[in-house]
Amino acid sequence: MRCDHCANDVPDGVFCTRCGAHQGTTGQAADAKKRQHRYAAHPSEHVFQPAIFTTIFPHLGHAKVHEFRWAFVVGAAAIVVLYAAGLISAAILVAVFLVPVLYLIYLYETQVYRDEPALVLGFILGGGAVLGIAVTLVERALYNPYTNFGNPLRGAGVSVGALLFLGLLVPIVQEAVKPLPALFLPNRRDFPETVDGLVFGIAAGLGFSVAESLVAFSSVITNLPVHTVSGNWIYDLATIAVLQPLLQGSTTGIIVAALWRYRRGRFSSRELGGVGMAVIAHAAFSLGTQVWKDALLSPLFVLAWQAVTVGAVLIYIRYLLHHSLLEEAAHMGYAETVCPNCHTHIVASGFCPNCGMALTAAPASVKRARKPRAEAKT
Amino acid sequence: MALACPRCGTQNPDGNAFCQACGTPLSAPVAVTAGAYAGPPPGMAPPPPSPGYQSPYYAPSGAPVAVHRTPWMLIIAGVLVATVLMAGIGTALALLGHRGTQASSSSGLADIPSPTPGLTPSPVASATPTTAQTGLQSNDGFTVNLPSGWSVDSKDNETMVLTDPNGGGSVTVSSGVSIPTQTAQNNKDTVDSELKSKYPDTRECPSTSPASGTLNGVPGISWTLCFTLTSGANSVPAAASVFAGANSSGSIYYLVMVLTTESNLNSYVAAAKPVVSSVHWKLS
Repeated sequence: MRCDHCANDVPDGVFCTRCGAHQGTTGQAADAKKRQHRYAAHPSEHVFQPAIFTTIFPHLGHAKVHEFRWAFVVGAAAIVVLYAAGLISAAILVAVFLVPVLYLIYLYETQVYRDEPALVLGFILGGGAVLGIAVTLVERALYNPYTNFGNPLRGAGVSVGALLFLGLLVPIVQEAVKPLPALFLPNRRDFPETVDGLVFGIAAGLGFSVAESLVAFSSVITNLPVHTVSGNWIYDLATIAVLQPLLQGSTTGIIVAALWRYRRGRFSSRELGGVGMAVIAHAAFSLGTQVWKDALLSPLFVLAWQAVTVGAVLIYIRYLLHHSLLEEAAHMGYAETVCPNCHTHIVASGFCPNCGMALTAAPASVKRARKPRAEAKT
Repeated sequence: MALACPRCGTQNPDGNAFCQACGTPLSAPVAVTAGAYAGPPPGMAPPPPSPGYQSPYYAPSGAPVAVHRTPWMLIIAGVLVATVLMAGIGTALALLGHRGTQASSSSGLADIPSPTPGLTPSPVASATPTTAQTGLQSNDGFTVNLPSGWSVDSKDNETMVLTDPNGGGSVTVSSGVSIPTQTAQNNKDTVDSELKSKYPDTRECPSTSPASGTLNGVPGISWTLCFTLTSGANSVPAAASVFAGANSSGSIYYLVMVLTTESNLNSYVAAAKPVVSSVHWKLS
């Protein structure tokens, strides 16, 4: 058939395997070329759908994502059980490692690092962790929490100095430092695609997040009794387990992805907006958390604020990655392969003609198994 | 060369045994039984498929290429193992770290003897700025004499936050007018409520209980709170030894709060003793 949008002759399918356009889509229904109703990494979702797993685990197919969701549920349930039992130190450690461990399994599953797991994981995760320790220790040395306590008989008060430091300076410094391991990865030229940059950025951010949380909560872990009053620890645990790693991972992911695009000569307002979004969202997360806590608002409100800021970053990641995949997958050659999303055996170029998944977001093993063919039709 | 399906005309890739569109065996002719529909009459048949048609699908032949897949049980098991490992390490660290750092049984601020006369007869109209040499600091509510190394971190008309040379804690001293009037018990309840709102695990420290007494001449209640102080990259098990008082009419409040880590409270209260005992309340 001839694609309505790129005018290439391509194998029949619901999607053009060259440009990914959704065939037969009318302008009234959606924009076939931008196909924002079909996220390129997971075509069953809209680009602007606030989904966690299909955003930070872009290589996983439809079925595999569910397995990771269940694994996360198991870990989260363990945290709730430990919290209910009053084992707060144990719950904190499990919470700190839950998302990073899932991400390690994801990296193993998709083998994004290809043939050099030790170098890539050591440099990115290890580098992120080392930077996390260094930055957090400096932050602790500069900021004394005892002096910003206020007068409890005079109600809520906000310390402007603490806000500027914790809500503005620290996020900016962290966002400048966190991408460094991914940017200076020795064999970075072997991973030219934006989706690689995104995954490496998220991994570096998660390494940083683990170190930051461990340093921040080291006193609590070692000084709290084994069994203590659970109180409202569940809110802090939710932040440690989910929102903090997602924030640190996604903001770094978006910055590294934008810089990967820059290396490809594709830096536009979309990428610049990504960097701005990462810094603004991190500052909003930290500022809001500090202000709402000082104002003695409900911890549920603080959690909701954190979730909104993280959700905004995740949606921007999808927007940036979607358009990057549409551009980059269009240059793939024809090959026999298996779509990791719908599992159909296809002869395809950059997109699965059946479900529309961008095949540059396929796991490394699927990419390796591609059997190149001559152009399907000229 | 593509194989055309004898039933529907679909072009199938080489090697296909069955049509991928209708399932008809590609090697066998289509059996047409007597009386069955034999297709449209000559000249009425639908146009053949475009010679350019190319199926997007292929039937895999030969041994399938090995594609790495992590079994779902391994994924769940990985998370479970990490969970058990981290929970075990967390419990062990709590066991080791908490040994010998049992909660303080602070005797409370109210027992600190007053080296200066207690109540002053009337408010001082204007606070006199203090000099660094004498260490005397003042605001509208009180004066305090700072020993060497201690400093004022922040100060307003009612409150001063004082820090020790090592930055291991702080002493907050405050006094002002209560509107509406509040008893010492009311003030204690307010402090408890504010801290519980901000630090959800706030509770009275083990082996401590509220006690009535006087601090530098003003009556009030002394008690000790334990909680997790979380701010920025700091999250520490903290303790506050608090004195909240009021004058007889409840129109003036008095507050002293010594804040540090839970394990260090007793020694910090002792170190802060010269500061706390030097507080001279101006309002009565």
